[in-house]
Amino acid sequence: MPNETILLVGTAKGLFILRGGGGKWSIEGPHFPGLAVYSAFLDQRKGRNEMWAAPASWHFGAELCKSTDMGKTWDQPEKRRIKMPATTKKPLENIWQITAGGDSDSLYVGVAPAALFESHDRGETWSLNKGLWKHPHRKQWQPGFGGLCLHTIVTDPKNPKDIKIAISTGGVYQSADGGETWKVTNTGVSAYFMPNKYPEFGQCVHKIARHPSKKKLFFLQNHHGVYRSRDGAITWEEIESGLPSNFGFGLTVSEAGSAFIVPLQKDAERFTCEGKLRVYRTRDEGKSWQPLTKGLPQKNAYEVVLRDAVTSTGNNIFFGTKNGKLFASHNDGDSWKMIEGSLPEICCVKAYTL
Amino acid sequence: MKVYLSGHLKQFAGGETEVSLPGSFTSVGEALGGLWSLHPALRDRVLDEQGKIRTHVNVFLGDKSVKQANGLETAIDTDELHIFNAVSGG
Repeated sequence: MPNETILLVGTAKGLFILRGGGGKWSIEGPHFPGLAVYSAFLDQRKGRNEMWAAPASWHFGAELCKSTDMGKTWDQPEKRRIKMPATTKKPLENIWQITAGGDSDSLYVGVAPAALFESHDRGETWSLNKGLWKHPHRKQWQPGFGGLCLHTIVTDPKNPKDIKIAISTGGVYQSADGGETWKVTNTGVSAYFMPNKYPEFGQCVHKIARHPSKKKLFFLQNHHGVYRSRDGAITWEEIESGLPSNFGFGLTVSEAGSAFIVPLQKDAERFTCEGKLRVYRTRDEGKSWQPLTKGLPQKNAYEVVLRDAVTSTGNNIFFGTKNGKLFASHNDGDSWKMIEGSLPEICCVKAYTL
Repeated sequence: MKVYLSGHLKQFAGGETEVSLPGSFTSVGEALGGLWSLHPALRDRVLDEQGKIRTHVNVFLGDKSVKQANGLETAIDTDELHIFNAVSGG
């Protein structure tokens, strides 16, 4: 009996929860019908199985909700958990990321406008990370199409003080002291839309991901550019040879160490290259890329895969498209199968092995 | 003062779309304060963290848009307050 996999699929119209094993899937939802869910997370640490999701209403704003019964019911606290302090003079625009901290009780949430919230008591209380909020670069960060979003948080269970984040646009920043101070680490990453193509900061980084066993090896999908870092996300080098385009959003790295991206035609077009839905995989840290097509439509397939809509657990890879198609691979990308074909626009996919 | 809520908000008002506020108020902000005291969960949904009416929420005093009047300082001159989600979204 294979282990059960649970997928949290956030869409523009609610959250769907899928459970599967052996190729068969059940689906529940939509939870929060009509609301956009850009981030979700299952906290499995200490066996607690607490589920988090961040529905956002066009009208009434975004909030962080919790389920203690694996998604059957969700709370919506009277006082929202994530609120911009009055001193910031900014309202919360959206919640883009919910991530486990490096220790067993911390959680981090990334939001627009480019802020990090932290909890060190399993999500009971939350506070704004002041070091990042007061960063001197802040006033020069510019919102991208999705707002000024802090969309990626990478933590390290072996070193809880190590936190890496990515902001569009701002780029990669990291803290070695648990979030007290932050340094910018975009060396080598392009910002083609600026007069200086390689500025210290201001890059529109779409996603970064760490290799599962080589802790200093990272991959980065940029707004035009695919990169690798071998020094802990400090300096970056291009790894684009063999790709049909260097534009894209999502990125994941499997347990086997394979990195997966879904290239899109250039910035101005933003759909899968040549109308073919191809996932690209590298198994040699970016020296070469293989197009993965088995089970994926190769004709008139004009899809977009957003920055948090590619994910993996073990060597099971999943991705969802803006056209509402959800795909799975159970063999590190060699072949794919569509699980659902008509969901609302998929904003995020998160996978967990139970 | 009677407050009429959009159906989207009734889950935060005990399932009701009409709420009667006891007492009298001089401004819309004061009346909303009375509403929050009865149904605290409405506050974070109607106002943002900076205390402003959310961009895509409209509050009407009678048939007058509060945003186009004097905001939360708008003086009370009728006993009907309406809270709607604006016609927006995708």
